Amino acid sequence: MLLVSIDRPPAGRRARSVGVLLACVVLLLTMAAACGKKTGETTPPEPPPPSRTRPEEPERPRPAPTGPQLLLRGARVMTAAGVVYPHGDVLLRGDRIAAVGSELPVPKGATVVDLRGKVLTPGIIDTHSHIGVYAAPGLSAHADGNETSAAVTAEVWAADAVWPQDPQLERARAGGITTMQILPGSANLIGGRSVVIKPYPGLRSIEDARFVGAPDGLKMACGENPKRVHGDKGGPSTRMGNVAGYRKAFQQAVEYRRNWQRYRDKKARWEAKQLARSRGEASPADEGEDGKGKDEDPPDPPARDDAMETLVGVLDGETLVHMHCYRADEMSLMMDLARSFGFRIRSFHHAVEAYKIADRLAARDVAASVWADWWGFKAEAYDGIRENAALLSAAGGRPIIHSDSAIGIQRLNQEAAKALFAGRRIGLRISDDEALRWITANPAWALGVHGEVGTLEEGKLADLVVWSGDPFSVYSRAEQVYIEGRLVFDEGWGDRAPRSDFEVGLSPADLERDAPPPVFPPGEAAPKAKKDEEDDR
Amino acid sequence: MSDLEIRPRPTVGLSRLVGLLVVLMASILGPTSAAAPAPSTAPAPRRASRASRPAPEPARLPFDREASTSIFLVGAAVHVGNGTVIEGGVVELRGARIVAVDGPERAGALPSGAAVIDLAGKRLTPGLVAAASPLGLVEIDMESATVDAERQDGDPIRAGYDAAMAINADSSLLPVNAIEGITSAAVTPRGGLLSGQVAWIDLVAGDHVGIVARPRIAAAGTFGSAVAGSRAATFARLHEVLDDAALLRDRRGSFDKRQTRELSAHRLDLEALAPVLAGEVPLVMRADRASDLLALAELARSSPLRVAVVGGAQAWKVADVLAAAEVAVIVQPSLNLPQSVDQLGARLDDAALLHAAGVRVGITVLDDPHNARNVTQEAGIAVAHGLPHEAALSAITLELARIYGMEQHYGSIEPGKVANLVVWDGDPFELSQWPRQVYLRGQVIPMRSRQTLLRDRYRDLGRFRDRDE
Repeated sequence: MLLVSIDRPPAGRRARSVGVLLACVVLLLTMAAACGKKTGETTPPEPPPPSRTRPEEPERPRPAPTGPQLLLRGARVMTAAGVVYPHGDVLLRGDRIAAVGSELPVPKGATVVDLRGKVLTPGIIDTHSHIGVYAAPGLSAHADGNETSAAVTAEVWAADAVWPQDPQLERARAGGITTMQILPGSANLIGGRSVVIKPYPGLRSIEDARFVGAPDGLKMACGENPKRVHGDKGGPSTRMGNVAGYRKAFQQAVEYRRNWQRYRDKKARWEAKQLARSRGEASPADEGEDGKGKDEDPPDPPARDDAMETLVGVLDGETLVHMHCYRADEMSLMMDLARSFGFRIRSFHHAVEAYKIADRLAARDVAASVWADWWGFKAEAYDGIRENAALLSAAGGRPIIHSDSAIGIQRLNQEAAKALFAGRRIGLRISDDEALRWITANPAWALGVHGEVGTLEEGKLADLVVWSGDPFSVYSRAEQVYIEGRLVFDEGWGDRAPRSDFEVGLSPADLERDAPPPVFPPGEAAPKAKKDEEDDR
Repeated sequence: MSDLEIRPRPTVGLSRLVGLLVVLMASILGPTSAAAPAPSTAPAPRRASRASRPAPEPARLPFDREASTSIFLVGAAVHVGNGTVIEGGVVELRGARIVAVDGPERAGALPSGAAVIDLAGKRLTPGLVAAASPLGLVEIDMESATVDAERQDGDPIRAGYDAAMAINADSSLLPVNAIEGITSAAVTPRGGLLSGQVAWIDLVAGDHVGIVARPRIAAAGTFGSAVAGSRAATFARLHEVLDDAALLRDRRGSFDKRQTRELSAHRLDLEALAPVLAGEVPLVMRADRASDLLALAELARSSPLRVAVVGGAQAWKVADVLAAAEVAVIVQPSLNLPQSVDQLGARLDDAALLHAAGVRVGITVLDDPHNARNVTQEAGIAVAHGLPHEAALSAITLELARIYGMEQHYGSIEPGKVANLVVWDGDPFELSQWPRQVYLRGQVIPMRSRQTLLRDRYRDLGRFRDRDE
């Protein structure tokens, strides 16, 4: 195991995710191949490349679904993939969707759930949450979302601060959220890495919830917040200073990457030489520049820098940039800046003026994560309009409805509905499926996980929501939520619903029950609990 | 609570007269709200004679106007706001008022040549009210030069701060919210323990002279640990201030001769509380924790004060007590997070539980005047969690008018009330619905806002030059 011998990542980091490790291995192998056949077996320890996966469609071969089969029958199935079945079926097998259609045959041994009168959609995906880094209750002890000690903190990771007992997580789950990106705040020009999670019950570390295989994301911020927060403590204090700060940071990253490339080139030459020597093929020309063998030792690697590693991931197109940016002019400038450094912004966030540059965003395939109707709370939000998402959609762009709120995240379906109907009100032709994509397929794309989630299609992970009715109605509620085939929320559970630790024991009802409030969904913990009870008897 | 009693207002004699004088002076002086004391001008000679009159509820508001002709809105399902629905109703408007509301039988008996608006197939509701909102006091929250919602001094007693004096009729928030059905607002200052005086406005954009329908309709404040970081200190301070306000009211002559003890707040702030002490206007307090709600209920029970609560995250826990004390609660139904420790136990069915317990329930959007319009969504969320639909409509119209003492003029489609009306295609709570027309004080408004204009400037992006091309 090459990675284990590396000095850099502390043990906790190494366990972050199998997906990331796999990706590293894949990348190392790729790199080794690129280095040619010269690479010998005596490879010295080498710092790993930044942990990252590919932002584009992760075309990993999907394992054939196995496991118990569950047939969800008779619901209105809205796939977010262009098809709506008025009376459709979805077959789950293990953690994946095995089939989507109407009047699917009932496989032998499958459990059948009658969902007539209900609506099935993909699990809802939010690109913008601070749950866990700004946990409830909003205690001073819980303010972990902005590392304001510097204006550029590309080295910090939101995953290091997410409190898995935040009671807001289970409320998001109850609202149909099955994938969410937790971001650092917007105080900094470059705020740090995000983490993409699935809000499972029973988390003891946010790593237990990490979306395996999701690419890294980076939070950046335009405009008022960085200059307000840092204006009195070293800057930037203007938008000029903001942009100079991005340029400086990425220029450093360019140079850092160049230094590492130089080192790798040197090492490759050194390895080639060692190989040649071992084969007795050494020639005088290989004995150092002065021919006296001064380069017997392998070259020293440059210092490793976490912040630079993150930014190199961006330059290489492997870390996805999520940029808080309200105004059309700033978004335009940032797209130019990114292009000058050879990377792309994956999604602007908030983007209340996206409608003014809908054509540009569409042409460059930059998503915009927007609210349905927030506006006016700050100067750069003053031009917000209800039709923002709809106009971007009509221009061929990728609108996303995001929450940035632990209230809003509980009903992103309603937020999408408001944006949808605002568009229809002015005559834009937007289908239900398209509006559903604003909270499913499009955010999945922005997070680079669209190969796995975001639509109801065969082979994708079985993340679904059962709605009591039309998800665009104010009266509809999420009745059931599945994540990877596992029922994680059911409206009927009531007091038996899994809960995080914080609220346990804070109401008299808790004190009167014989068992503590459950950590896991009712069906799951039952077998063991039953056994214990029997033993007790 | 027993350590302090609010003295009932004397009902006869000189002190009554003095009390009225104080009230009147406050109303004449009007803008006595600034942090700096207002100049104490000599009282006008007419005051005594005016004070000697009983003060009945005036039938007219400043904007009322004579009109000889009527407009008839015909054929809509009239959702009165009090729980009743008149299918195919006929609503007659004259001037700024509704003068008659009848069933479909009236449609055949309209005067010839009458102005008739056909609303067949539509739904007509009362104009919606933005309660406990800084609408008109805030343009851009983070730009202090555009915010007048709060007297920025260290004193938690700011009861004299008068929102009516600070309302910006040119605020872009007014049309943005008006075209989505918000026709009135109880404009509420914030901050401190007693934040100031609430003003009732109609969202008539640009009407600097007439936008305020009535100033000083309530006193607003924030309970909990507003004083010295301690709710016990908050209780004590509130009682002290109310006691001093009563003393000032009852012994004004002695006060002017410096024959009273030192008062604990500025004279103008204490004077502004006189109508609250008398129960003439309500004290509307932001509060969430059950213990705070019980303290306010006890205040209401043991004194003439009319008390209403805004927030009420834990109100469901003490719903019976609130109902018995006739303390109304204005909630935002979507707020189900334990966002602060005072809000542990917040739940989506708070409104439904309160309503079932007999508490008067209002619904509003808190702390976001830009989106006061989303009160329809909030009402829908309450309905999705158990509140009856017509109760939810009432909670954003008539119940709010009642809580603020404005029900004689506002809140329902009934004769004599101000003609603030909204025409819908369907269920106003549904996200697919928006007003087809809004009537403010009897007149249609342009269904445009800064937002619709911006939208229309950018609908055709082909007109713009793009250097990439």
